[in-house]
Amino acid sequence: MVGAPLLRLAGVEKTWPNGTVALRGVDLAVTPGRVHGLLGANGAGKSTLIKILSGAIPASAGTIAWRGDAVRWTSPRAARAAGVATLYQHIPLVPTLSAADNILLEQRRGWRHARDARARADKVVAMLGRPFDLDEIVGDLPIGARQMVAIAQALIGDPALVIMDEPTAALAGHERETVYRTIRQLAEAGRAVLFVSHFLDEIVALTDGVTVLRDGRAVLHAETATLNEATIAAAIAGRSVTALARTERARPIGEPLLVARDLRSPGRLAPTSFSVAAGEIVGIAGVLGSGRSELLHAIYGADASARGTVTLDGRPIALFTDETTRAGIALVPEDRARQGFVPTMTIAENIALPRRGQIVDRAAEAANARAAIARLAIKADGPDAMVSELSGGNAQKVVLAKWLTPDTRVLLLDEPTAGIDIGARIDILRTVRALADDGLAVMLVSSEFEELLAIADRILVLRDGAIVAEIEDPAATDEIALIRLAGGTLAETGVAA
Amino acid sequence: MKKIDWRRYFGLREAGVYYALLILLGVLATIAHTRGLPPYLAAQNLGNIAYQASLVGIMGVAMTVMLITGAFDLSVASVAALAAAVLVGLAPQIGFPLAAVAALVTAAAVGMLNGAIVQFVGINAFIVTLGTLTAVRGLVLVLTDGRSLMVERADTLAQMLAFESMRFPVFLPVLVIAAGLLGLGVMRRSILQIASAVVLAVLALLAGPRFAVAAPVVYLAVFTGVVWAVLRFTVVGRRIYAVGGNAEAARLSGINVHAYKLGAFVLSSVAAGFAGVLFGCRLGAINPTALQGSELTVIAAAILGGTSLFGGAGSVVKTVIGALLLFTLTNGFNVLNLGASYQGLIEGIVVIAAAAIYTVGGERRRARRPGVDTAPDAPPVAEASGAAV
Repeated sequence: MVGAPLLRLAGVEKTWPNGTVALRGVDLAVTPGRVHGLLGANGAGKSTLIKILSGAIPASAGTIAWRGDAVRWTSPRAARAAGVATLYQHIPLVPTLSAADNILLEQRRGWRHARDARARADKVVAMLGRPFDLDEIVGDLPIGARQMVAIAQALIGDPALVIMDEPTAALAGHERETVYRTIRQLAEAGRAVLFVSHFLDEIVALTDGVTVLRDGRAVLHAETATLNEATIAAAIAGRSVTALARTERARPIGEPLLVARDLRSPGRLAPTSFSVAAGEIVGIAGVLGSGRSELLHAIYGADASARGTVTLDGRPIALFTDETTRAGIALVPEDRARQGFVPTMTIAENIALPRRGQIVDRAAEAANARAAIARLAIKADGPDAMVSELSGGNAQKVVLAKWLTPDTRVLLLDEPTAGIDIGARIDILRTVRALADDGLAVMLVSSEFEELLAIADRILVLRDGAIVAEIEDPAATDEIALIRLAGGTLAETGVAA
Repeated sequence: MKKIDWRRYFGLREAGVYYALLILLGVLATIAHTRGLPPYLAAQNLGNIAYQASLVGIMGVAMTVMLITGAFDLSVASVAALAAAVLVGLAPQIGFPLAAVAALVTAAAVGMLNGAIVQFVGINAFIVTLGTLTAVRGLVLVLTDGRSLMVERADTLAQMLAFESMRFPVFLPVLVIAAGLLGLGVMRRSILQIASAVVLAVLALLAGPRFAVAAPVVYLAVFTGVVWAVLRFTVVGRRIYAVGGNAEAARLSGINVHAYKLGAFVLSSVAAGFAGVLFGCRLGAINPTALQGSELTVIAAAILGGTSLFGGAGSVVKTVIGALLLFTLTNGFNVLNLGASYQGLIEGIVVIAAAAIYTVGGERRRARRPGVDTAPDAPPVAEASGAAV
């Protein structure tokens, strides 16, 4: 260790008001002049920890010591005043304002264009190597430069600790380099950096120390020099709560049903070709921003700039959502509240959304809804309950139930189990397996790699919008290998993006 | 059998506009009685109110569909004036029926233009239709050369007047509709349908067998009935609500969102065009500033009826009641001579009060729902979608 820690957490716990435990006692020490990596699978507690450190939410138990004194920040402003700057994954900038205005957004008094404030902003930007002009409108900047604006915004208060939550997830290769360089500069200038990432190669190359969270606990503290990608991946994997047994398919895979050739979308998806057979579940593995959702949206016709051919049973399909739906392709989108259901409608009405026909048959729809409620074990008062009143897992089951019709032949699932409890997860995965056994072709995107290993017949690994690996036999693969493929050093896979 | 949730049908938020109309009629009737004026609730006077409200009602029904899909149309009054100008300008040359068709086609074209700009260029509907409101009114001025146009040919004029001022006996038809609604309501156990059947039957019996209304009222009733049935009973109706409730979810359910939104613009403009045709027929003439400002009355009627400006919710029947409420206010002030200067003030307050009732009622209902946001899985969702603090 180099010097006294700037920030020291001891036994920090977080229990949500409804009883969900997000953190079960985390210890962490961050030292000036060092870059500290924080890793963990989805749901391990990284975001909760970051929110506690940035003052957005209070911890339920444990102590936080800042420069040796116990503190309890009650608002993000208190944390910022103390010297903690947090950079969130989705860059919260005002796109209609200039870079200078965004950087100085926190400034509390005085004229909008005060000369000294501008000089301060200019100094910070100069330190970053002037990746953008101060007067440029943020909305006009490329995404990499926007990330630099966010970094400059974080640095304007001269923080002692900079927390970065996956700052590179949305960036292209050369833009990442700039962020890496900046992080090293910050450390050399004597600041502490807490760096969250899913990319193991970044962590190994960039950090001095590493903490791995799993199920709300810190399961690994180590100097990066003593680790490699494999040991980190092993620490991330092996979540205790899942215990998903692998389910085998009940009948052999049929003929190729869905065939995509040269499917591409500029800036999102490199030209991709693959096929999915009837009765087959193809898993899509990849970290955030790897193009997993984009791939499904391109197949479903929901991406207007997608090009290429998609055929079903050898017949080409026009890439528009009404055409693909008519052909029997179904998409369960990632963000159920924004993309999945209509909040002003009941369960029965939501399930009936894709149905065609002229006259609404309420009795049949209620019967359908009751059948779906029974089949998927949806916890609801009945077909007339509003979807917006359901819990996340039950709402997700409604979105899935929308497509449980004889017309559906290809099921595209985008993170169907994200943010839902283990019981609902198993219900959904079991239904997916049963659907495949009934002859559907299924593509399943999941950040929970052990889910893919448990259910998929084949796994495609995506990175930077391209398929970088294909795993023919998931039963013989372990999660560690998959984490390394999705987020490890690209050279190992031998495929360039 | 199914338990009846009375609050769902008769709560202030659900049925407030009906109460408001009843209370207003009661108050006006009382005032008329105490001042020794002829009875306010006479069938003749109520028929008049419906006649005065019919043009705004027709536009309001289409506007409600528009608002349900989540869009907005400020240009309806200008489009109606344009249609009236086309009708009055062409009728002497090509005859009334063809001129009416030309007027409707013109209106539909404006709707297409509005919808195409909103959907395919991606400009906000408020701005686009604010532009067409001004531009179409300007076009009316150009076409009429800034003067009033009149239909000079007597036979054409007679046809037009007949189309507008023909009177329909409504006693039997209303009783038949009431019986149909009653049957439907009993079959589906729908309290609202039974209640509206009873109200219709009582009104018809009170008005007597020789009561007749002007044609626009019948047109409004038929249009409202058709749109209500489409929204209530067909898949198209369901999809209209879905497009406004969550356009992205609708799109990802295979619904052609563009077509529905474009269709709403065309419907709104065609309805406005039809209202313009009726207006042109009423006088056989058109003044270039005709109907100016009535787009706001149309929107006010929809808001009084509880239509959400955010899309996904609304009822065409309640919009018509809202229009009747507004015109009862106007009519009451005139008939009872209550001081026309207060009219605008009262109307404005009524609209804001109605919106307040809907908003506050909605919030209270949401608050009563047990913890939507604190479902057990809330924290991991936050993890998955990034730190949205």
